[in-house]
Amino acid sequence: MDISHIAALAGGNPWLSIWPEISLGCLALLLLALEILLPPAAHRRIPAVSIIGQLVILCLLLANLPVAEGPVFNGLLLLSSQGQLMRVFFLVTSILVAVLAGETLPKHRVPRVEFHHIALVIAAAMMLLVQSRNFVMLFVALETVTVGLYILVSYFRTSAKSLEAGLKYLVLGSLSSALLLFGIVLLYGVAGNPALAARTDHAMQFSNLALFLSANPHNFLASAGIVLVLAGVAFKVGAFPFQIWIPDVYEGAPTPVTALLAVGSKAAGVVVLLILVTEVFFPYDSLVVPVLSAMAASTILFGNLAALKQHNVKRLIGLSGVSHAGFILLALVSASRVNWAAGAVYFYLFAYLIASFAVFGVMTVLSGPDDADQELGSFAGLGKERPFLAGVLACGLGSLAGIPPLAGFMGKLFVFVAAFKAGHYGLLGVAIAGVVLSIYYYFGWIRTVYFSDEAPVTPPAAGRPVGGLAIRLALALLAAASVALGFYQGPLGAWVSGR
Amino acid sequence: MSPSLDAYVLLSAALFAIGFFGVLVRRNTLVIFMCLELMLAAATLALVAFSRFNNTEDGDVFVFFILTVAAAEVAVGLAIIVALFRRKQTIQVDHLDSLKH
Repeated sequence: MDISHIAALAGGNPWLSIWPEISLGCLALLLLALEILLPPAAHRRIPAVSIIGQLVILCLLLANLPVAEGPVFNGLLLLSSQGQLMRVFFLVTSILVAVLAGETLPKHRVPRVEFHHIALVIAAAMMLLVQSRNFVMLFVALETVTVGLYILVSYFRTSAKSLEAGLKYLVLGSLSSALLLFGIVLLYGVAGNPALAARTDHAMQFSNLALFLSANPHNFLASAGIVLVLAGVAFKVGAFPFQIWIPDVYEGAPTPVTALLAVGSKAAGVVVLLILVTEVFFPYDSLVVPVLSAMAASTILFGNLAALKQHNVKRLIGLSGVSHAGFILLALVSASRVNWAAGAVYFYLFAYLIASFAVFGVMTVLSGPDDADQELGSFAGLGKERPFLAGVLACGLGSLAGIPPLAGFMGKLFVFVAAFKAGHYGLLGVAIAGVVLSIYYYFGWIRTVYFSDEAPVTPPAAGRPVGGLAIRLALALLAAASVALGFYQGPLGAWVSGR
Repeated sequence: MSPSLDAYVLLSAALFAIGFFGVLVRRNTLVIFMCLELMLAAATLALVAFSRFNNTEDGDVFVFFILTVAAAEVAVGLAIIVALFRRKQTIQVDHLDSLKH
């Protein structure tokens, strides 16, 4: 058998170009090795190794940010500045999740090292996911993320709520993966059909598929495949009508995992959707744009209306996250007509990352023995007792609500301007109504923190916890970043506004 | 006479639909899980059929990845179901209601 062809293909693989993913994987393995080699007394230092290791990778990544753009691994991955941006995004997410986990896990009798191990693997898979330009690569990376998240969601294995959340996420997540897979199979099958124009041997490759779709703009099977793929990815994003899993899973999962789901998983889904819509499915705009528009409008309305009457803060932040997915979808829909709308998506994601982690961080510090049970009433009087935590929380919530001059306001502004330029006036009206609704419940939370006279539902004996040094430092940085990004958008803003 | 491509695709669409509605209507977690696997198997069948009739090879390679992913999913899923059964002594969906608001 002649293997010289395969050897030639493999010889050209630039392994160094995916060094951040490889080093995250090695770090993950190192954590497990350390647990075997070190004496049990030293085990509580292992999470610190994870955080420091990731900080080193982040510094190296920031130092080598400009990248030689182009396809690598025979087109499986595409290196690009957007890809670099999302690498930084997921690395920051992963570091913050590790910091949050350092606060949450010691409150429960669970193993710690495995959590950090799986979180690192998920971060590496997310990085590969947003750079993949081939459906096989996309599916494998997506499933690595999803299966890892099944484990993390049910990580408190003695808590019925955590396990139930894990089971719900497992069933609905596998369902969405199957929809996505069947959509991919239909696209692959129809694009290989010898009777059609521009048929291709390698239909899994995005560029080949895009050429095929351009040549056959009204194929029924291709349309069905596109709708199934969009449905599968919309599920990960949590867009209406695929949001049913969000409140239950967010409530039952450990708070750091809720943060990872809300920020990391959602951002990965959004970027995949953006790549698919702008690079592959654009010949089918007449199908994709109405579907995504309807999805965006119903997602914004549903998320905000359902969040109005929530009193568990994890459910509240989950449903408000649904509405944020709707705002991002609005920018996605505009991306086919306004070319800088993709930049608005990235900016919104960063603003959302910073604000969400500020809120999740405060929730992590304050969470009691039952991690799922975090009621709005338990935040009463926080402003007087812990002014620092209350201030960070107010910053995060204000940014999520889109109050100027915080980062969230600029994010929403870019999205709305993009939608206006693209001429989606109806959607814009819905989005503005959504913002008004969201201010009601975000400010309800802030009011409880600062102006509620009621005593906390469960008054802790020794006062509320203040949190460890690492998490207080992270919270201060997040609050400062929320304010700073609102005033100065830097290169990110210049890129967004297309200058 | 061997079956045509249409026959394979219709069969796989039917299997996929059975799996999909099974997930929606069945109340036993294990049966739901089998229905999920049925959906993956349906996709695999269509993939192999397309690969064979269109004379393209990417699909055959993809099947190996799908098998691996399905195995990982089953391993994690059964572990969660076992842990849940130990905790609650039931795997009926109707009895899993501790996350109701």
